[in-house]
Amino acid sequence: MTSKLLRYIFILPVIIYTVFLIALPLIYIFVISFFQSDFYGGMIETFTLENYARIFDSVYIGIFIKSLVIAGITTIICILISYPFVLAVSHKNKRFQTILMMLVMIPFLTNSLIRMYGWTVLLRESGIINQILMSLNIISEPLSLMYNNLGIIIGMVYTLIPFMILPLYSSVSTIDKSLLEAASDLGASKWQKFKNIILPQTFPGLFNGALMVFTPALGYFFIVDVLGGGKIMILGNLIKNQFLTARNWPFGAAIAVSLVLITILVIVIYRKLGGKMDKLGDM
Amino acid sequence: MKKIIIVLLILICTGCSNTKEEINVLNWSSYIPDSVIKSFQKETGIKVNYSTYSSNEELLAKISGAKEGTYDLIFPSDYMVEIMKDRDMLETMDLSKLQNYRNINPNYLNLDYDKGNVYTVPFVAATVLIAVNRDEVTDTITSYNDLLNPKYQNEIVLIDDQRIIIGLALLANGYDMNSVNENELEVAKEWLLKLKPNIKAYDSDSPKNFLITNEASIGVLWNAEAALAKDENPNIETIFPDEGFALSIDNMAIPASAKNKDLVYTFIDYILRPDVMKEIIDAYPYKNVNNMTNNLLGSNYLNNSAANIPDSVIAEGKFVENIGESVKLYDKLWAEIK
Repeated sequence: MTSKLLRYIFILPVIIYTVFLIALPLIYIFVISFFQSDFYGGMIETFTLENYARIFDSVYIGIFIKSLVIAGITTIICILISYPFVLAVSHKNKRFQTILMMLVMIPFLTNSLIRMYGWTVLLRESGIINQILMSLNIISEPLSLMYNNLGIIIGMVYTLIPFMILPLYSSVSTIDKSLLEAASDLGASKWQKFKNIILPQTFPGLFNGALMVFTPALGYFFIVDVLGGGKIMILGNLIKNQFLTARNWPFGAAIAVSLVLITILVIVIYRKLGGKMDKLGDM
Repeated sequence: MKKIIIVLLILICTGCSNTKEEINVLNWSSYIPDSVIKSFQKETGIKVNYSTYSSNEELLAKISGAKEGTYDLIFPSDYMVEIMKDRDMLETMDLSKLQNYRNINPNYLNLDYDKGNVYTVPFVAATVLIAVNRDEVTDTITSYNDLLNPKYQNEIVLIDDQRIIIGLALLANGYDMNSVNENELEVAKEWLLKLKPNIKAYDSDSPKNFLITNEASIGVLWNAEAALAKDENPNIETIFPDEGFALSIDNMAIPASAKNKDLVYTFIDYILRPDVMKEIIDAYPYKNVNNMTNNLLGSNYLNNSAANIPDSVIAEGKFVENIGESVKLYDKLWAEIK
């Protein structure tokens, strides 16, 4: 009895958190996405599908595509960096593994916006990277490392890569080492081992990481503003503009709902591919 | 040790005695230096809860959703004053409570957005201008169209403000800055697409840094930003383009939902004091509208052409106007050129 009560008491904060800070705001966003805007930040409470119809305007479809491409490239680069890193880490001894994973986490302790401004000091034309390359005579003209798509991708990959490394690391560490040894004994090449043993067993972790990188990458407007020079608009900027400049909350809400739908769609595809939902929680 | 405890106790007690008297000020970021707020608190014993916003629309959103007493003083620009007063969001201003009201330059009083200053008192004026780093660019620049020169590829920084930048493109083509004519806006869009290869970045937070660090040689930015850049590099020239330019007058206003109205007047009057206004302008060199402050300001303000803009030039500036639902057109165009 008391243990049951205790369990509820421990769960309660999580329930309160989920209901009030996640569920209710989402429901609110969903409801107002069907309202009409009065163009002064207010809403007229009549049902309309106009906000959703407007999304299909070629301009906004273009922004969706641009955002999906940027998020897709970010996810792929994160995977390409994370796999070798995680596999290398998993071969080290336990203490060294803990230290390396802590190093991945440490930048999280600083505000990400401040870290973006830190990157501008490194990447700008008169910045440290260009200065070093020029003093070593590797380049003669400074490279444009930011205020373009490259800057956005650098910022996105840097900010989001821990979300790929962590789930991937936890699923790699569950692989039975004896399987890999057996494969080696039977003469499997490195690529065969990766393809036939590591990849299938780490797929849930990979997908989980991909989801956690892809989804925020659609919306992180501050990275686009700081490292992209505000020249490109992704979904996050578009939503922010609806709330803060265009005074059109319902349209902003409709775009936000579409963003949630994209995420759900990705999860549906994962399940269709045979992925299990409970495995996604493995961390 | 004893001393420290006593000091701490005194600090805590002064803290409690002041809790009754406080005001909530909501202002633009980078508009009033901390030192002014601190000396006001010290002088009057009134605690100031200070928070900031970065666009008029953000201010509107904050005020609309706020419950009574959340904010006692706000700083809306001209067109936002109109929107707010039409929607009964502003308290009338009792000018008789403001001894220092007479210090204000009459050129900035009784303007169209608030005839007779029923609701507002002007704080500072700001214009958008072109700043050119003469170390890098020697060509004559007199018009927005000069910015289209392919020589300036990746060299221009613009403020990230859709009304101002689209308005500038309309002006460049000889149209009204606030046009809602779709054909004219189409021309403006084409113009901005032509300008695109020259744009280094859109940045409203600190465009001056682009000029100071030489990341960009030309900037279209607010005058105070240009003035601060000029302090760093005297070779930055400021230009008011032939076609006209955007002007904004920011005002102090009391929202209808304010609670501590009497205390707010003390604060407004303090801000209007010549010496206080000098401290503000020294930190953020917008165009000063306080006549008594002019005598106090140093040469760094008076000789800085981006800060001390003659009233005759200001008079040619154009206000961003409330265009209601047509804001939709601007928003879509903005998405198209980005």
